[in-house]
Amino acid sequence: MKTRTLTVPNKLGIHARPAALIVRKASEYRSEVFISNGVDEVNAKSIMGVMTLAAAGGTKISISTDGPDEDSALEGVCAVIDTGFGEEML
Amino acid sequence: MNIEDLVGHIGERLGLQCLSGRLGFDRLLTSPDVSRPGLCLTGYTHKFLSHRIQIFGETEITMLSEMNPGKRNKALSNVFSFPVICSIVAKGLEVPSELLDASVKAGAALFRSPRDTTPLINDLTAFLNEVFAPREVLHGTLVDVFGEGVLCVGRSAIGKSEAVLGLVERGHRLIADDTVSVRRNGDTLLGSGDPVIGYHMELRGLGFVNVPELFGVGAVKERQQLDLVVRLVDADRMGEMDRSGLETLTTEILGLSVPLVEIPVLPGRNLTVLLEVAAMLNIRRKNTGSTSSEQLNQTLLEKLQQRRGPDYPP
Repeated sequence: MKTRTLTVPNKLGIHARPAALIVRKASEYRSEVFISNGVDEVNAKSIMGVMTLAAAGGTKISISTDGPDEDSALEGVCAVIDTGFGEEML
Repeated sequence: MNIEDLVGHIGERLGLQCLSGRLGFDRLLTSPDVSRPGLCLTGYTHKFLSHRIQIFGETEITMLSEMNPGKRNKALSNVFSFPVICSIVAKGLEVPSELLDASVKAGAALFRSPRDTTPLINDLTAFLNEVFAPREVLHGTLVDVFGEGVLCVGRSAIGKSEAVLGLVERGHRLIADDTVSVRRNGDTLLGSGDPVIGYHMELRGLGFVNVPELFGVGAVKERQQLDLVVRLVDADRMGEMDRSGLETLTTEILGLSVPLVEIPVLPGRNLTVLLEVAAMLNIRRKNTGSTSSEQLNQTLLEKLQQRRGPDYPP
């Protein structure tokens, strides 16, 4: 199990489009991937789940991965978030 | 289409009576438009559209009848010195003998119709527009789902016919299976089937099924406007697909852009229901101007905006 905490870097936060990008990346791995906003933890392979977090720009979130490729899954998903989904940054 | 085909298709409907024998029946029609030869009869022959069907209405015939025979022949020779394709006298009017003579001499067919001039022109151009409309034959299955024309496409054996069979069973109407002939009419596309295949569907293992025979005449429809294309895709394409529902795809048919939905085929997915929902979503989008996905995202964006609170710069 690997975990990393990071900040949602884009202004609009995780709305449908960023959520879809996270889900698409997380689905590439065999490991389980979770996102938490400190209150709720959701499956990062479920778009509805990720949208439910309603993680606004600047929110602290943590990514956890668990499984055979947990290292690369953590790197991959965090990279998608860190790039700000190609949107305007805070 | 030549004059003989024209007579074969709408001769009866327009009450066309041929006055010149089968003269000029092999001439080819090249335009869906018609021409009124009035100005040409007066001697203004510039830009005379002789390749169009010439309609002699009451104006032309009255003008000819008021002329003395010499002037009448001169007027008609203005017209028939051009390669006139054929002529129709409307309203069942008396045909001046000089008109018939000139037409025969030029080797062009001359008809008379009992229809009034304007309705005759309307019906004739409507028919010719259909004949000359751009058309394309597409591989897919066209079905009317709640009034939406849904063209289901995808590689061979992916399950188009089976999915559409499910729709027919649920009370939707088949227009054509496998081969759909699409015609463009202004800003709309009209699809219909092949006259030989008719309403047959090929179902692997069962052979050909005559849909109206099994499901009743209400299960089929002759033609349908095309509103949506649904492409069935293999499941391995799923990874690259948009999940946000915000991406709207289109495809181009005969120069018109048509909404496109891609549905991945996986065991356990009920394609029939998914096709039905795709049609309903298309209706909803047209009625409300936005999709469910867009509205859900709007709600989410508003919540995210509130959550950012006063700490964040605007």
